[in-house]
Amino acid sequence: MASGGLACLMFTLVALNILAAAASLALFAVAIWVVVDGYKLYAISAVSGKDDIFAAAWIAIFTGFAFFLTCLFGIFAAVKRSRRLMLVYLIVMFIIFIFECASAITAATNRDYLVGNSNLVKKQMLQYYTDDSSKGNQITDTWNRVMQEVKCCGADGPADWITFDSTYKTKFPNSFSWPPNCCEKLSNSEVKDPISCRDGGITLFKKGCFQHIEWVLSHYTWAVNWYGFAVLMLVFFMLLLAMVYYIQLD
Amino acid sequence: MPGVILSARHLQGFIPLWILFIRNKMFSCYRMKTNVVIRLVLLLTVCTYAVKSQTATPVLTPADLQAKITTNTVILKQPHCYFNETCPTCEIWLVPALSSATSTFDADRTNSNILSLSPYPSAFGPLAKNYFLTKVGLLSTFPCSASSDSLYFVVGADGNCTTVNCNGILPTGSVVRFKYVLVNGSGIIINETNWSANITLFTPQNPASIYDGFIARSGAMVVITTILSVAAGLLLLLFFIMLCVVCCRKKESKSITARSSMPQPIPARSSMPQPITVRSSMRMPRYDTHNLNDRVHPYDNPAYELEREK
Repeated sequence: MASGGLACLMFTLVALNILAAAASLALFAVAIWVVVDGYKLYAISAVSGKDDIFAAAWIAIFTGFAFFLTCLFGIFAAVKRSRRLMLVYLIVMFIIFIFECASAITAATNRDYLVGNSNLVKKQMLQYYTDDSSKGNQITDTWNRVMQEVKCCGADGPADWITFDSTYKTKFPNSFSWPPNCCEKLSNSEVKDPISCRDGGITLFKKGCFQHIEWVLSHYTWAVNWYGFAVLMLVFFMLLLAMVYYIQLD
Repeated sequence: MPGVILSARHLQGFIPLWILFIRNKMFSCYRMKTNVVIRLVLLLTVCTYAVKSQTATPVLTPADLQAKITTNTVILKQPHCYFNETCPTCEIWLVPALSSATSTFDADRTNSNILSLSPYPSAFGPLAKNYFLTKVGLLSTFPCSASSDSLYFVVGADGNCTTVNCNGILPTGSVVRFKYVLVNGSGIIINETNWSANITLFTPQNPASIYDGFIARSGAMVVITTILSVAAGLLLLLFFIMLCVVCCRKKESKSITARSSMPQPIPARSSMPQPITVRSSMRMPRYDTHNLNDRVHPYDNPAYELEREK
């Protein structure tokens, strides 16, 4: 192959490596955003024992940064036109590729398990809300905050508290049909209108919280799996090109 | 009579329509057939009588409330305009009863002690009467003019109470019916509405019965898994092919350079420049080995050489 063609291939490889380095740095940043959990819904996945969305995000942090460093090394290896360096680059990239694949697949699968439908979230809420265990405390805090911030009640609606028995109902049998956090509260956390709250009038939040929870967890998942998938596709084609370059080198 | 006011309104509605109908018929110059007239009169009479004998029925509140029916409480519409009497000491009372106990109450209603006949604490049970009476309010507090859909009455607001006529909760998950009764100053029932329709209270289910296992795989997950698995597999395959290609080329180039490095006599014949062929990226000069024909070379095949000479 003419040296002109080889030089062209080298420049393409260097450019793609720069692009992949930038993209994987962005993956690193997005995975950090997921792990930080700004919406504070980690408890819902932790209590059910299925926090693999966050585990996948941790893996994506490491693979994102590793991709970044290896791509810089790849630029060096391509410019140096060294076969040995290119081989090292290819092997390391392939290993990171496998890990990132695992991360993307794990996040997608786990999201389906957690928020495929509202059953898991509903069952967890009914069993753990106001429960005295540590799991119960986590769930209670999370739900209290979500109900007041998002102005919602129950998983699918306030009817969840009526249709099912719950730890809350067993603990507070003479209280309202639903937790006080389902109703509008004043700034001193007193219920604004107890009669309207008891009867389910206008101060009761009527929509369910599952929509919000599903939205948040889905966005966490998509950040890790779809963006990771995009980076992986870029890296896949870049590695194909790198293999061709490796063969052309002497 | 309870239905009088309602029937007067309906009658007022019907008369103008009827007159209009007659007038239209006359103006359109069609001859009024007698059977049509008879039918119309009959219809009107039937309507009037039906409207006249209609009594009120307790209903669930039409207001937008989430707790209309819970496991042990019900919210009903307030009894505005249900009774026509005007006695100042009359009170409206509510009779919640299991749907199986409506006949028991109907048999007991003429009793002079009806208000304390079935106290709430002992009202429900296998041998109990399964109804109780609770006070709603004075008749004068429910005038027709104040009727509104946003006013409601909560049955069971007093919780698990202990007095005789308190507004206690109903048995969980039971089927209940309601009746408003008008009670005069001496505790005698002087009027009543119909029984309401059957209202089934919720029976709370055990949350452990919710199935929270894996329901279905989303399309995204299937797409990502298959494409990534294929990509990773393809990469691995191509990686090994690449290694094989490179190793094979190395062997070939080694064998070629090994051949060309054997000691040879200086050839006298060919002084033509050797053609250089290019096979992919390897530049392989093709050496003309005719000068070695006289010699026996370990890598030469004698049979092949003989054939070439022919």
